[in-house]
Amino acid sequence: MSSTSTDLAAAGAIDAVKIYGEEDTEVRALDGVTVSFERGRFTAIMGPSGSGKSTLMHCLAGLDTLSSGRVFIADTYLDTLSESQLTEMRRDRIGFVFQAFNLIPTLSALENITLPMDLAGRKPDESWLDQVVDILGLRPRLTHRPSELSGGQQQRVAVARALATQPQIVFADEPTGNLDSRSGVDLLEFMRHAVDSLGQTIVMVTHDPTAAAHADRVVFLADGQIRDEMIEPTAERVLDLMKQLGD
Amino acid sequence: MLRVALKDILARKRRLVTTGLAILLGIAFLSGTQMLSQTLKGSISGIFDYAYDSYDAVIRSPKEQDLGFGQKLRVPVDAEVVEKVRRVSGVRAASGIVESSTAKLIGSNGKVYGSSFGPPTIVYNWQSDPRLTSGSLTDGRGPKSNDEMVLDFASAADAGLRVGDRVKVASQEGTREFTLVGLVGIGPDGKTSPGATTLIFPTEVAQELARIPGQFNYVVAAADPGLDQITLASAIAGALPDVQVVTGEQFKAENVNAIGQIVDILLTFVSVFGYIALFVAAFIIYNTFSILIAQRTRETALLRAVGARRSQILFANVIEAIIVGALASLLGLLLGTGLASVLRSVVSNIFSMATTQAVPTASNVLYALGVGISVTVISSFVPSLRASRVPPIAALSEATVDRANLSMGRVVWGSGVLIIGSGLAVVGFMDLGPNPLLTFGAGAALVLIAVSLILAPVIIGPFFGAIGRLSPWRGSIVSRLSRANAVRNPRRTASTAAALTIGVTLVTLIAIVANSIKASVDTAATEALNADFIVGVGTFSLGSGLPESTVKSIKALDSVAVASPMRFGPVRITDAYGAKHAAEGSSGSSDGSTGSFGAAVGGPRGQDVLVAGVDPQTIFDVLNFGKLQGSKRDFVDGTIAVEESVAKKRNWRIGDEVPLYFAETGEQKVRVAVIYPNNVGSSAFFLPISTFKANMLKVFNLDFLLSVKVADGYSDSTVRTELERQVKDLPEVTVQDIRQYIDSQTAPFDTFLAIIYALLMLAVIIALIGIANTLSLSVLERTRELGLLRAVGMSAKQLRRSIFAESLLIAVFGTGIGLALGVVFSAAVSTVIAAENPDVFTYTVPVGSLAIIVIGALVSGVVAAIVPAWRAARMQVLQAVAAL
Repeated sequence: MSSTSTDLAAAGAIDAVKIYGEEDTEVRALDGVTVSFERGRFTAIMGPSGSGKSTLMHCLAGLDTLSSGRVFIADTYLDTLSESQLTEMRRDRIGFVFQAFNLIPTLSALENITLPMDLAGRKPDESWLDQVVDILGLRPRLTHRPSELSGGQQQRVAVARALATQPQIVFADEPTGNLDSRSGVDLLEFMRHAVDSLGQTIVMVTHDPTAAAHADRVVFLADGQIRDEMIEPTAERVLDLMKQLGD
Repeated sequence: MLRVALKDILARKRRLVTTGLAILLGIAFLSGTQMLSQTLKGSISGIFDYAYDSYDAVIRSPKEQDLGFGQKLRVPVDAEVVEKVRRVSGVRAASGIVESSTAKLIGSNGKVYGSSFGPPTIVYNWQSDPRLTSGSLTDGRGPKSNDEMVLDFASAADAGLRVGDRVKVASQEGTREFTLVGLVGIGPDGKTSPGATTLIFPTEVAQELARIPGQFNYVVAAADPGLDQITLASAIAGALPDVQVVTGEQFKAENVNAIGQIVDILLTFVSVFGYIALFVAAFIIYNTFSILIAQRTRETALLRAVGARRSQILFANVIEAIIVGALASLLGLLLGTGLASVLRSVVSNIFSMATTQAVPTASNVLYALGVGISVTVISSFVPSLRASRVPPIAALSEATVDRANLSMGRVVWGSGVLIIGSGLAVVGFMDLGPNPLLTFGAGAALVLIAVSLILAPVIIGPFFGAIGRLSPWRGSIVSRLSRANAVRNPRRTASTAAALTIGVTLVTLIAIVANSIKASVDTAATEALNADFIVGVGTFSLGSGLPESTVKSIKALDSVAVASPMRFGPVRITDAYGAKHAAEGSSGSSDGSTGSFGAAVGGPRGQDVLVAGVDPQTIFDVLNFGKLQGSKRDFVDGTIAVEESVAKKRNWRIGDEVPLYFAETGEQKVRVAVIYPNNVGSSAFFLPISTFKANMLKVFNLDFLLSVKVADGYSDSTVRTELERQVKDLPEVTVQDIRQYIDSQTAPFDTFLAIIYALLMLAVIIALIGIANTLSLSVLERTRELGLLRAVGMSAKQLRRSIFAESLLIAVFGTGIGLALGVVFSAAVSTVIAAENPDVFTYTVPVGSLAIIVIGALVSGVVAAIVPAWRAARMQVLQAVAAL
């Protein structure tokens, strides 16, 4: 199994339990999950709906809190942070890409990309920003408003924003879920490229085996527990494993 | 569809609360004043019922002088009338009545008892005939000698006076002392307070205090048993051809009406602010419904897709408005009833007068529901219509937010409305058309709608752009975001700001105009007054003034070079101009059908004005009239001096004979002797004291003030001390230097302004509710976006700050437009005033007051954001993100 030591991992969870509801209506969304995500790698979390994959990600990203257990980003356990420290953590050390509505409609693409730095009152690192913009092919679109961009372009802007702060880790929640297959593949290739050429760490939640195939490693979740994992996945192998787990 | 509408209301009840609140406050204010007016009038009518209960007929002079506000002063009748009335068959008893407000009770502190806002003080003569007394003694006995008096029990208790005490009474002849020998009340058991401070003296004393020696204000008669009032009144009128006779019932009705008129004028004035508040509420309702309808576009489209007709969608929305309007109106009525009850008890305490509990009548309920529902339905109609136009296909598209279309067409028709509105306002303001006030109001409302609803959305973008460039925080993302949010829906921002605009416009307009008038009065008075001290009575009231002896002794002081007296009285100018501008009902009327008999009220049509009576020898020394036309040597008995602007308007020239109508002496011709250019304040018409004395009722023939010039070689402080010694026994009289005098003359403007500001607070509070509501709805609408911002690292503090900034921007916009409109309106109003008062009126902008208004409006913008900002920052990040 994978290592749980914090010095190698970009992020991870130890005995993570998340319970919704009470007594009779109790749902254990996470039921003792221990997992870590290595630096400079592209990891996919897979599982059927209701498996707890989104909950795991929200907790890892500090958007939600665990019922018991711990999560960490690099050398920091999130339960030791105050609300405002958590906000700063999200702003400076974590990147996010959501399924949709990733952008602030009143801001231009560039403003959306630099939003976390602007919120922190910091100047972006220009050469890094240039690199990110070029890798994602956004140079000609920077002054456009989100409403003037296609769905794929919008998601690329979201990825660019997530990478712009040089975060320790980027979490992506079904980033291709709302895209047609062509745009989806493009986006995944851009993300792959970001990991390979910029050395970034990405954790992506998906239920699509084709998407998962772009990752270095796939972690399989079902009923709130880790069931299996796969290194160097291909779409066929992922699909087979999914079928087995489903049985 | 009804069920859909009801479900919608239930589902959105919190969002509709603000709509309801805006209506509720407006209706509470209006129905509260209405009910207060009803209960006050009822109480007043009750008092007159008791006080005049034993009178079957009232005999009086047909001649009267108008004092303004529906108040009239009648010429007294000679004592012999009483005897003549007694001899008329059918008269069981008759007596002369002295009824006058020319004396004041002095409290134990040496000051005049009561305030100018409190109950009036009325002098009566003691009635010993039990058939003609109203009320009864509650303690002691009636006055027997000329140094005894009786007081109403309520005032006595309030002033801490008991039977046997020595009581001081101030009149124009100085202060007199009496022994309090009895207390009275009205009503069958004497337990009801008359509401006024009632001083009762033996007839001779009362006549002296009322300045009608040997006369009565009117004569009352009781009928023989079985004889009705109308028969009695016509019998008396038949026997006495020179007098006017009214029945007891008619007399009561006249008195009730006269006071009711004042109550009406006051409460109509107050109601105006209730209507302004409702106007502001209309903007908020329009806005709330627009947002709600935009937010449920998909739902509406779904209804359409499954077969709802357009008319059904419209119907459902209108029903929703009706229900909200009705609920809010009823709650408003309830709150209004409470308000009226509280005010009623306040009034009862001030006037120590029993008032009945305020209870809403059927007409109050109908009024509240009618106004509340109409305002809600009318202001929500455009959004409802918009909802009915949602195509079914919208159900499938992305959720839409309220998009604004800012076409050039908007500018064109907005300008059209603006021009029509301005036109109407000008027509109304010039006093043209059938109902100038309504025309002016409608015009002003149209201008406000055109500017703040139709045109404002177009300028919001550039406006905030400019603010963005000027703002010291222009670089910050929080400031950029809040600006972008304020601009993203210009129509919504504009109509939210509009509510505040109305308040700021009115406050600015009133502040500038009042301040200009005040400054002009100040300048004119400073220029006109050429004296060192003014000795006089603080506020003008009938029978207040300086005793002749005091005037004489001040004139005789060595330290006084000039002491020039001035008195004031009403007169009707009956020239062609006056007849044309006669106030409604100013010409006399005698309508026998309603219980009035005998000689009709005389008096031609004309304009009632206040004229000054002055000493021609000295007046030119103490008042600076400017370069005179005509000679001051010609200003003698039988002439008049008049201000140039007035003379021009009335087309009077030197040597013209002009007609003045006096109640006492009828129409008199006076010759125009002097026309002067300066506005000297106080009056534009001056008569020599001899002319004034010969024609004016005796109650007015009393020097109201004395302008004093210090003789060479005496210091101001010496003279002041000497003057103060002269008036030390006259509690109403003060000695003021010119600066103090002018300040006391302009002080009422500040009081007036304070009252108006207080009344406008209601509209401003409703505007704030509107801003808070729009922000809350916008926050709700942007839940996802805010969640995203929080997810990528916006702190709760930054989020709160961005909402405060957005609110502040809306407030800046509303205030800015309001300020601009207020300045434009005030300039227009001032132009008209200045045209009527050339050389005097100066347009003065009170920068300090305006700064306070602006700061106040901006602070309130921040206050409005407190709840929405708190709510937004409290929003759980995951909740918001989960909505993704």
